[in-house]
Amino acid sequence: MAGTLSIRVITPERILLDTTCSSVSFPTVDGSVGVLSGHAPMVAAIGVGELAYKTESGAADSVFVAGGFAEVRDNVVRIVTDTSEPASEIDVERAVKAAERARRRLEQFESSEGEKLDILRARASLSRALMRELIAKKRR
Amino acid sequence: MAGIKELRVRIKSVGNIKQITRAMEMVASTKLRRFQDRAIASRPYSQEIAGLVKRLSSMLGDDVADQPLFNPGKGERSLVLLITSDRGLCGAYNTMLFREMEQWLKGRVAQGLSRETTDFFVYGRKGAQYLTSRGYSVKRFITDPPMEEVDYRTAALTGRMLVDEFETGEYKDVHVVFTAFESMVKYVPQIVPFLPLTPDSLGVADGAGASANNDAIMEPDAATIFESLVPRYLEIRIYNSLLESLTSEYASRRFAMKNATDAANDMQKELKGIYNRKRQENITKELLDIVGGSEAVK
Repeated sequence: MAGTLSIRVITPERILLDTTCSSVSFPTVDGSVGVLSGHAPMVAAIGVGELAYKTESGAADSVFVAGGFAEVRDNVVRIVTDTSEPASEIDVERAVKAAERARRRLEQFESSEGEKLDILRARASLSRALMRELIAKKRR
Repeated sequence: MAGIKELRVRIKSVGNIKQITRAMEMVASTKLRRFQDRAIASRPYSQEIAGLVKRLSSMLGDDVADQPLFNPGKGERSLVLLITSDRGLCGAYNTMLFREMEQWLKGRVAQGLSRETTDFFVYGRKGAQYLTSRGYSVKRFITDPPMEEVDYRTAALTGRMLVDEFETGEYKDVHVVFTAFESMVKYVPQIVPFLPLTPDSLGVADGAGASANNDAIMEPDAATIFESLVPRYLEIRIYNSLLESLTSEYASRRFAMKNATDAANDMQKELKGIYNRKRQENITKELLDIVGGSEAVK
């Protein structure tokens, strides 16, 4: 059995998570990355998605993250992000509404050849909303 | 000479004022604690971000200077974000800040930059009033959300606005004027350069620190990460400046209100002394009258 590593999720408002675990995976901009104890030092830009971790006893939990950075060093995974919430705190209703809104906006922009930035923004907010919903449903 | 009745009225009104100032002191105390907690809570985040910026920029070495936001804009103008309070009764908090800023502006005038070359973004009604009444150009007075409800998101928006303004090239630099909170009794008005960034201000260590980290895996690559890291770094700096200013404001207000309460206490005591002496005098006088009167009747 491999050793443990500690994980900290740090946001401007508070330290969201500070615990030890046996494995972590988080989304980077180029796809998901899994980290076990003894991982090489790494700095990564975080995408949108689920940060999942398994505690030593085998229980799994996840946290929603969107944007930010991960730094792996000396068996410590530091996630520094400004948008993040644990699965238990996700407001599903809000996420569903946000997804709807983003979809409507996307349709509107795509039919009327809206600005590229607007489309990007709507897409980003859609993926955030969908991920939130997914994580919340998975952990409840 | 104030009559006994007037004295009674004054004692009462001083007492009322004392009650109000004491209530304000207590409100300021709780708000102070709240903002202080938030400032402390944001510290790990800003430390991590600053640490990452430092490590990455020493990794990138000289390439850092080529990044956008590291070079002064082409324009002649300067942009200043001024953070003041919405409300008064907070001692010398705003005055100290304005004095410091005026001195700085005077220094710029001495360098041949006229007053008109500075535009302002303002937080807090006091600052907006000060600037407009003196004819400075207030480009934006940020009132939404109200100062006391700032959170990271809105602070980040302000940061982004400043960056956008800078990127138009109209401004050669951006400064933040705020009050740094050093301790419960020490708040220092400060003017710090915000943009353009300089490798020095990021705390880049030459050579030595760089090699140790070079073996880290970069996902996707150092330059890209750095590019998205810099905006976060700037945002957290604005957020911290706001929180520190708010903390200073409430510390200052609490102090001012405590002084006012103490002064009201002293005043009340003094007035009571005078009042009692007067009352005694009157009683003595009346007694003498009665005694004198009864003597005369005998």
